[in-house]
Amino acid sequence: MSRRLSLWLVALVILSCFAVPYALIGHVAAWYGSFLFWCLAGLAIIVLNITATAGFTEEGE
Amino acid sequence: MTLSLVLWGIAIYVVLSMAVAWASRSGAPGSMSGYFLGNRKMGGIVLALSYSATTYSAFMMVGLAGLTYRGGVGALGFEIVYFAGVTLVAIFGPRFWRVGRMHGVVTPFEMLGLRYGSKWFAVLAGLTSLVFLIPYSAVQLSGVGYLLSGMTQGQISFGTGILIATVLAILFSWIAGIRSVMWTDSLQALVMIVASVAVCGLVVAELGGFFSLFDRIVQASPAHLQVPGPGLFSFATFLGMSLPWFFFAISNPQVSQRLFMPASLAAMRRMLIIFLCFGLVYTIVSVIWGFSAFVLFPGLERPDLATATLLSSSYVPPVLGVIVMIGIMAAAISTIDSILLTLSSIFARDVYGNLTGDHDDARQLRIGKWVIPVISALAMGFAAMEFSMIAILSVASSVGLVVIVPATIGAFFWRRGTAAGAIASIAGGGAFVTVMYLTGNALMGLNAGGLGFPGACVIFVAVSLVTRPRPGQVLEGFVDDRRTSVAGRVRPA
Repeated sequence: MSRRLSLWLVALVILSCFAVPYALIGHVAAWYGSFLFWCLAGLAIIVLNITATAGFTEEGE
Repeated sequence: MTLSLVLWGIAIYVVLSMAVAWASRSGAPGSMSGYFLGNRKMGGIVLALSYSATTYSAFMMVGLAGLTYRGGVGALGFEIVYFAGVTLVAIFGPRFWRVGRMHGVVTPFEMLGLRYGSKWFAVLAGLTSLVFLIPYSAVQLSGVGYLLSGMTQGQISFGTGILIATVLAILFSWIAGIRSVMWTDSLQALVMIVASVAVCGLVVAELGGFFSLFDRIVQASPAHLQVPGPGLFSFATFLGMSLPWFFFAISNPQVSQRLFMPASLAAMRRMLIIFLCFGLVYTIVSVIWGFSAFVLFPGLERPDLATATLLSSSYVPPVLGVIVMIGIMAAAISTIDSILLTLSSIFARDVYGNLTGDHDDARQLRIGKWVIPVISALAMGFAAMEFSMIAILSVASSVGLVVIVPATIGAFFWRRGTAAGAIASIAGGGAFVTVMYLTGNALMGLNAGGLGFPGACVIFVAVSLVTRPRPGQVLEGFVDDRRTSVAGRVRPA
């Protein structure tokens, strides 16, 4: 996945962190509601950062 | 919890930390870059642990747990938005790193002053960070004072607590500059994560497991699993809290200065990824901690007591309680010593250096070293006053520092940004945020957190458009016409 696409997807995840709980699943009173969503969003951020920084090299050592 | 157990815990922590700090010395760091940036040769794992310990202060274990206790699952969302904001390291990290090496800059404000061709920008930004970060450090010191006096029923006084924290923070900063801070931070980060995960696992097991915990939350207060929840996290409040924290990675100099330090971009990548893994675990653990306290002790008058109540309960064995106490203390000290070091470099380089015209590296280093105890004394003085404005200022600190962000973004992405625009955005934005906090913090249904950043952006753009860039501004490495890769190599056409 390209760096540009990864960063755009990060932006999408961030927007969804506001929109999904507040507009779609906020009423779900269970662990699989907003709690799970935000945990998965956190995981997605890690994966997308891994792909976004894949081009970071050992340059400078 | 007995006094002797607490004293033994503190003694072991001090001995271990001092040994690590002492061992981190490797030759005399005779330059500003050596003392404050580790000669730009820091490895990824130590950077990651230190970045974690610096970012996550005592307020994560106490504050986020308390926020969850009071406001429910929205606290997790707020912290995840901050967490996502660390992606700014992937965008700005290589740029800071490259410019730092190209121009030999030591502080983020020196870098921006160079870009805009204005020493006054560096002076103003430096003073702004001093104003907002000294009270923030004071609150960390107070946290240690309250923690130690609370857990020993006053046998260790509040004053003794803040004195212990101040002395340790000075020593960790002084012994070998950033190297001793990095290595003691790493030790402290490990204590923090191990202790918090252990308590979380233990308490959740006592409650019958993960699903049982959530069943009990649903029975007690389903709103705690909903958004906006029991009332704290309206959308406006959520936005106002999360927006300034989103920019933490580039607004707070004690973390943005870290972007100059990696030995390579690969080391920066390791720092980022390991930090994110650490942060996600720490965040979820702190939230579950808050939920557990809510289920076990639903009637607490003050949510911030959730952690202390949980630790002193029969659910946590005393030895583990002491380890967590040390973990919280370590979290506070590791945040303070990093802030101390960064602020002293900012004072020496950006304030003293620019105001006096003295650019001698060795003299600036000497001044930076001597400023460390002075800044510590100021923070300790604030903490000892137990002044209510400190709490307000500490909350305002992340909001106050966000006014630096438009000029930071503009430095790399907007050639037309001018020194006048950058200075006006900090001065105007800072004044706006301060007035908001002093007058009830509400305007058009939004608070300073929601308005501070857009306000500073508008000022930056508007003033930049009506003024001219300074002849002395430096664009090389910042805004290039060439299409460059993140690592600074020119892409083939």
